[in-house]
Amino acid sequence: MTAVTLETSTAAAPSRGPRGLLWAMLRLHCSALWFWALLMAVGVGTLLWAYGPGADAAWAEYRKVGCGGTAADLGCDFTVPAYSRYDTAVGIGAGILGLVPFLAAAWAGGALIGRELESGTAQLAWTQSVSPARWLAAKLAVPAALLTAGSLVLTLLHRMLWSSDGVLRMAMTSREWHHGITFQANGTLATAYALLGLAVGVLVGLLQRRTLPGLAIATAAQMALMAVTVALRPHLWPVETLTDKDEYPPFIGMVVGDGALTSTGARIEDPICVDNAKCLAEHDIVGFYRDYHPSSHFWPLQLVETGIVLAVAGLAVLAAFRLLNRRTGAAV
Amino acid sequence: MSTALPATAAPTTGRPPRGPRGLTWTVLRLHRTALIVWCLALAAATAVLIWMYAIGDEARRGMSGCATPATDGLPSCAAVDAITADETYSAFLGLITTSLSYVIFPVAAWAGGALIGRELESGTARLAWTQSVTPARWLAAKLAAPAVVLTAGTGGLLLVNLWARQDDDPNLVGDWYLPDVFLATGPTAVAYPLAGLALGALAGLLWRRALPAAGVGFAVTLALYNVLERYRDRLWPTATRSEQGEFELPRSAWQQDWDITWGRYPGEGTPVSTSATFHPRSHYWPLQYVETGIVLAVAAAATLAAFRLLRRRMP
Amino acid sequence: MTETAIEAAALSMRFGRRRRPALDGCAFRLPAGSVCAVVGPNGAGKSTLLSLAAGLLRPTEGTVTVLGQAPATARERLAYVAQDKPLHPQLTVADTLRLGHELNPRRWDAAVAERIVAEGDLDPAAKVRTLSGGQRTRVALALALGKRPELLLLDEPMADLDPLARHQLMAALMADAAEHGTTVVMSSHVVAELDGACDHLLLLGAGRVRLAGPLDELLAAHTLVTGRADASLAAHTVVESRTTGRQITALVRPEGPLGDDWQTTAPSLEELVLAHLRAPEAPALRLDDAREAAV
Repeated sequence: MTAVTLETSTAAAPSRGPRGLLWAMLRLHCSALWFWALLMAVGVGTLLWAYGPGADAAWAEYRKVGCGGTAADLGCDFTVPAYSRYDTAVGIGAGILGLVPFLAAAWAGGALIGRELESGTAQLAWTQSVSPARWLAAKLAVPAALLTAGSLVLTLLHRMLWSSDGVLRMAMTSREWHHGITFQANGTLATAYALLGLAVGVLVGLLQRRTLPGLAIATAAQMALMAVTVALRPHLWPVETLTDKDEYPPFIGMVVGDGALTSTGARIEDPICVDNAKCLAEHDIVGFYRDYHPSSHFWPLQLVETGIVLAVAGLAVLAAFRLLNRRTGAAV
Repeated sequence: MSTALPATAAPTTGRPPRGPRGLTWTVLRLHRTALIVWCLALAAATAVLIWMYAIGDEARRGMSGCATPATDGLPSCAAVDAITADETYSAFLGLITTSLSYVIFPVAAWAGGALIGRELESGTARLAWTQSVTPARWLAAKLAAPAVVLTAGTGGLLLVNLWARQDDDPNLVGDWYLPDVFLATGPTAVAYPLAGLALGALAGLLWRRALPAAGVGFAVTLALYNVLERYRDRLWPTATRSEQGEFELPRSAWQQDWDITWGRYPGEGTPVSTSATFHPRSHYWPLQYVETGIVLAVAAAATLAAFRLLRRRMP
Repeated sequence: MTETAIEAAALSMRFGRRRRPALDGCAFRLPAGSVCAVVGPNGAGKSTLLSLAAGLLRPTEGTVTVLGQAPATARERLAYVAQDKPLHPQLTVADTLRLGHELNPRRWDAAVAERIVAEGDLDPAAKVRTLSGGQRTRVALALALGKRPELLLLDEPMADLDPLARHQLMAALMADAAEHGTTVVMSSHVVAELDGACDHLLLLGAGRVRLAGPLDELLAAHTLVTGRADASLAAHTVVESRTTGRQITALVRPEGPLGDDWQTTAPSLEELVLAHLRAPEAPALRLDDAREAAV
């Protein structure tokens, strides 16, 4: 028994592959790693399916019912089964990207930090030759790398899909570049929010020091933060304005606000005169305006919001390190 | 130690404490935080809905037709436009409606994690089982007390929601067939959280650890929610309308499929005939009942499985 | 003066403003190479003291130095086993030892750790989750000793072990300590478990140091006396006295020669500790030449 024990475990120790804290991280969160791989496989699989056979089938069926035009056709604003399948596939891919920040927050607050502090295994690590700060750094860096890699892959696939299914989309008017999840899945935001989730989860886990409260509060905090940033989104870049004398300008892009213009150029709320000249004159209305973001504002909006989200994540990380440092003494 | 069970606490204090007793008290005391959070959420939602009801009439005026100057039938447009209550009304009712349709998810995660998984992981379930409580009664109390609290909460909120929606103007509160509106306006609103509770508890008993059980409970209910949303339209036979030429369905119809027969040149001119399948508004209740039945059946099956699992594991 | 393993000065630790401090102005000094027992009633601050020495907590006031360094910088040189023996339940025994290897790249001695695990007849492929409490203790101790620490901090190490395993592990621990000059600090409230193994004693009560110093000197400073109830002990420090009928039994710290009225015996470790536990208001005694606490 003894001899066997010695043999097997000494054989296991000096193996190849990751070492030190990295090994410990990967080994401890093995099931989370598998889950992440599985989730990525599902996301990549559905998006690739949508890109290939899904889109082809949708097109074939769409043409069959006679909606071959390039512009949106009033008679064609319904979904055919193949398109609805295609849409579901794209929805799953983008939905995974939308869900990841919350999963990251819940996991980081619960399993990554909260559980370790609750059960004392964090203290176990800190009394090895690993300072709490290095432990926390590993806890942040390894998941951050994996989250970034996975999110970026899905984002790139989603972008590839987006650049190829324009006509289909226009015909069905189902998704727009500025719709919440689409907007995030097409740029850097999906990744930034995933990292924010991780940072928020880690901070909440350190504050709560318990598994389930850590999980619940981290998820709630992530929801609250995202509600704020999403509400701020249209105001992160100067808007473009369209004006028109007789009627409203076309409704394009991400509309931020609209109303009527008086002869002095002042903006007022539209009294909804429709075509009543007397009413228009009474309110001194000489035209209408609409503030909006054209699709060319995609990247500025995307990058400013990414910057804000990453800054908040950075603050959370900083707070986590300071908290740990204050609690455990001078950590080197 | 005497706080573990009120039955032992009662003799020491001399007079019996008021309020719930025995296992019910235990369950409510152990999950006090969850109970407080639930009550606060309900109170907040009710307050918002009362506010919405209060601005409901004004919101409707904000959507009405108008004329300039005001005629005997129509108010002045300037007056109508000054009303912003309609936007507030839509936004907040939408928020409550969506939240009510999502209650199943936190409930499932909580039931899997805190209610069952954590107790089995930390061994506190055994603590209960070695008091004068059989495991089956323990599980029954664990399920019944939250079920009652959930049913009362979601049922009450559902009624307040219906009251605040008043005449269900789809411009203000959304069409009846939108997924979250459908789930927040009928008995499904009560059934879904119960299914979440049962599925979460089953996950907790199966995994016996807090975090995996919370994750599995959440994932299973996410799947249930999405499957039912996807196949909701098939839960009751659709109506079909076929006519020569073209026609439009009213907004209240939940359209499913169009079949257009074209003449010689598809896509040009008027089609020869059009056929539409859809759910008219009158299908709302059959759809609600069938879906409620399915969800409650899932809840019952999960509960049964949980009890059988516990019985098989215990002597 | 020998090298110092742990030195504390005015060490205080408070969890929350309104709560009673867990440690209140503790000062003591422990020379390197000693085996020290930290004894005290429940809630005396033993676990807090060990956590502070392990660099897991930051003291509210005062300082503690370990092996001449701040605990946070001496991390590599000390090992710590917490009271509830936290281990990752999802890892196997072999992986737990590998964890020690990976997290202590410069110090890990796999042979020592594996020997301790093998002596308990543990299957290296078994998950920690499936182990009994005593087996977990064994793995936790293997993890601590595999690190080759210069200072070993053990919080209630033997509580879960059967008498045989306790005896065996204690022997292994002492042999290891003697061979490598490891300083061992272990807390316990089972005094019998420590007798014969320790050469230093630190008795805590209500967050304060009650007794500190080499065990033999502490024992020599106390005398168990029996005499007539009306005899006076006023010249000496009385730790505890009990009157039965006309006879009085007391544990005293003689300040000079005791009179012929008294029958004297040397107290055992257990008698010394129990007397101090029963008499929480007895004055503290420190024989460890530490700097005086600046309270």
